[in-house]
Amino acid sequence: MAPSDGIALLRRAARRAGRRARAAAVFRRIALLLPLPLGYAVLVLTLVKALRLDAPSQRVWWLLGVIPLLVFLVGVGRALFGRRPSWQGSIALDQFHGFHDRVTSALSFSEVPAAERTPLMQAAIEDGVALAGRLDPRGAVPIQLPRELGVALALLLGLCTLSLLEVRHYRRLPPPASFEPMVMSADDIELFREVAKELQAKNDDPNALIAVRRFNQLVEDIAEHRLDRHEVFQRMGELERDLKDNLELDRDARDDGLKGLARELEKSGLSKATATAIDEKRLADAEKALRELAEKLKKKEGRPSAAELDKLRQALEKASRSNEERAKNIDQRRRELEEDRKSLLKKKGDKPDAGPGPEQDKKLADNERRLEHLDREKNRAERSQRQMSELDKQLAQAARDLMHDAGQSAQDLEQGAQDINRMAKQEASEEQKQELLKKLQEMRELMRQQGKGGKDQMQRLQKFGQRARGQSGAGQGQPGEGQGEGQQGGKKDGPLRFGSGPGSVSIDVPVPQTVSGQGQGQPSADKPGGSDPGATGPGYGSGHDPNLAGNATDLKGKTKDVTAAGADTGQGAASSQVIYGAAERGFVGRGYKRVFTDYQTVAERALSQDEIPAGYRFYVRRYFQLIRPRE
Amino acid sequence: MTEAEQAREEVAEFQKQIGALREEIGRVIVGNRDVIDGVLSCMLGSSHALLEGVPGLGKTMLVRTLAGVLGLEFSRIQFTPDLMPADIIGTVVLDEGAGGARTLEFRRGPIFANIVLADEVNRATPKTQSALLEAMQEHRVTVGRTTHVIEEPYFVLATQNPLEMEGTYPLPEAQLDRFFYKLEVPFPSRDELHAIIDRTTTAQHAEVKRVLTRAQILQMQALVRRVPVARHVQDYAIRVLQATHPNGEEAPDLVKRFVRTGASPRGAQAMLLGAKVRALFDGRFAASIDDVKATALAALRHRVLLSFEGEAEGVAPDRVISEILKKLPGSKE
Repeated sequence: MAPSDGIALLRRAARRAGRRARAAAVFRRIALLLPLPLGYAVLVLTLVKALRLDAPSQRVWWLLGVIPLLVFLVGVGRALFGRRPSWQGSIALDQFHGFHDRVTSALSFSEVPAAERTPLMQAAIEDGVALAGRLDPRGAVPIQLPRELGVALALLLGLCTLSLLEVRHYRRLPPPASFEPMVMSADDIELFREVAKELQAKNDDPNALIAVRRFNQLVEDIAEHRLDRHEVFQRMGELERDLKDNLELDRDARDDGLKGLARELEKSGLSKATATAIDEKRLADAEKALRELAEKLKKKEGRPSAAELDKLRQALEKASRSNEERAKNIDQRRRELEEDRKSLLKKKGDKPDAGPGPEQDKKLADNERRLEHLDREKNRAERSQRQMSELDKQLAQAARDLMHDAGQSAQDLEQGAQDINRMAKQEASEEQKQELLKKLQEMRELMRQQGKGGKDQMQRLQKFGQRARGQSGAGQGQPGEGQGEGQQGGKKDGPLRFGSGPGSVSIDVPVPQTVSGQGQGQPSADKPGGSDPGATGPGYGSGHDPNLAGNATDLKGKTKDVTAAGADTGQGAASSQVIYGAAERGFVGRGYKRVFTDYQTVAERALSQDEIPAGYRFYVRRYFQLIRPRE
Repeated sequence: MTEAEQAREEVAEFQKQIGALREEIGRVIVGNRDVIDGVLSCMLGSSHALLEGVPGLGKTMLVRTLAGVLGLEFSRIQFTPDLMPADIIGTVVLDEGAGGARTLEFRRGPIFANIVLADEVNRATPKTQSALLEAMQEHRVTVGRTTHVIEEPYFVLATQNPLEMEGTYPLPEAQLDRFFYKLEVPFPSRDELHAIIDRTTTAQHAEVKRVLTRAQILQMQALVRRVPVARHVQDYAIRVLQATHPNGEEAPDLVKRFVRTGASPRGAQAMLLGAKVRALFDGRFAASIDDVKATALAALRHRVLLSFEGEAEGVAPDRVISEILKKLPGSKE
């Protein structure tokens, strides 16, 4: 073999061994560094699964994973592309074959120019070339799987297992929202049903009837347990709001309309009485005065003079137009203000750089305020126009007819009187609406009181109800404490007590304040009533304390027997007797109704006049609700 | 015949002569093959050797045998504390001629020989030890204004006893550095002892014959110098040398902790020359990394100076050098 061929062979073998050495180094580096990103991934996956990291935290952790990944990539890249020793392959061959660097030396000397080579160098080259056929790069640089690869494989396996592993987390779900219907006692339901029935009977105003029907429906829904507390309050709020809004607006609109009417009618002597009554809101008197005027016009004798009639005609005509003109005036003012506003806005828009212009802004704000006010005025005027439209028509017709036929005009005025009568009725219906509003507020207060203290308060109120009706908590009569106990109260902490009538039981009012007691009990010399063992069910109890009169008087004291006989005046039973008797029968009876009304009137007066804490007002009213007369 | 073939023949002749030399020495000296090769390497590298070993291991015998087989002039100097420089270099004496004329004549000391055995060199004072310096390095001696050249080949073999340190003068670093190798003469094995006893306690008396001429020795020394060293081998020797320094780039921790000063460039020279001799011993035409590794201990152990901490810890220079050879990869270029 020629030396040059031999050297080429040596080089090829050395290069091959070098490549294998590089590959082995890359494998080693991969095995060494791969655990770094894999370990990190295992760590993050564990954290994600075990701690249930949220999405932003997960993103941060995964982004940090770039660091170990970069370390791995850079490390492997350096092993792959980094500079390796020139003679790595040939040295590996020499070491593997035990050639004592003969191959490497031959390759090294072959790079020396031939002219500069010494004989020994040449001999060394030839010596190396002689070995070319025996070289085994594969054996010299075996590519073995590095031991560190085991760690990487274990981590990879762990990562796969971990990714497949489902870590279950049990989250305690909130219990499903249960429907807790609003509960109202049957007695209360009955009370509000009666209220609704009464209001319905009294009213013929369609709006008021609608409101009453809504109230009735609400009571029925509560009775049927169809509403929860929230819904009940919502419905009550809506009803109350509608009633209030309509009431105020209608009243104000009618007042405005009537005032305008009165102002014009006052100008004629014939219609002055009517005007005064209207102005003073005595609509019944106004109707009467108008009918009298019609009668006066009908009569042939003593008829008003032509001048008076002309004045009346003018007054009627103007009165009929007063509402319309008022609405027109408002509309006119509103248009003017709107134009002013547009002009101000235009000025402001033309000079946007001229600064804020405080005077201009003030004008604009004032303009807007006045516009809002006029809008409200307009609304009222329109409402007023609607309400008074019939009366206005009648008055206008009366004014027209007055010119040629006074009798016909009188008829028109009578129809106008009827319309005033209608308005009076409407006023009455507003009172009914007020009554409905009051009942709604009472109902709301009752529910509020029942709900604010939880079950304890509910129990206290039930107990209060039972005792108010003369029952004990267990349904059996307790020894009465009479008036003495009932009137105790004084300045002390603790429950305020009401005597419930004929010396039966006292009633604990759960008011945790230091207040003055207000006993209303009355002593009774009679025996206690029934001993109903606790009537259950929707109705009230009818039992009474068996020892209603209390203990027998101690005769050991220094007493003197006096016999007194009452004189029969024929005026009926005393109030206490009536109450006692009514309580036994379930608060029925005409006599009891009278007594109840008297007592309630006194109580209401006291409530309205005296400074009684709001908390007690409820209990007083509740007490009267509970002992109200039944049919 | 091409030059390469001629070189090949020279190498073969060298190997043959070395073989004969080893065989002849082996007739007297039992075992100690490494020490004999080391001594021969020093001689063929045109340098000197320091032999360390307990008394009675045949150090002097080895040198005397070597002188015998080489047919070279041999002198032995027993170093003692009262030995003066003039005792080894020589002195000028007044000589009265036949005609009565008196002349000053320089009487050469024992240093003027081809092979000088400086026995127990650490027993002499530093002043006397330093007298060897010029002769060992320059192969000449200056007395007064006259410089006397020592005939080639010149080879100093110094011995020292590691046990008896009391009353000794350890060789200074500069002088130690002039020794090519420091060879440690090991205690013979059981078989070797048997052979030694057999040879020295019977009537047998082995006579060695001269194997090489002076000219052949010089030729062999010249051949050693001509042996090429590939770049990677030379680089390896240099890296080993650098690694003996605590601040060396590839110095292992052991060196950093326990070495005060690393080897001088003479260490690398010694390693490479020794490697060349070894290559020729094996009949190879170029030195290898393995040759460098094989010579590193002998070439560097007396050139690596341990720190106080290293001395206190009992760290041997051989351990330090072995650590370097173990940690240093074969090739970096």
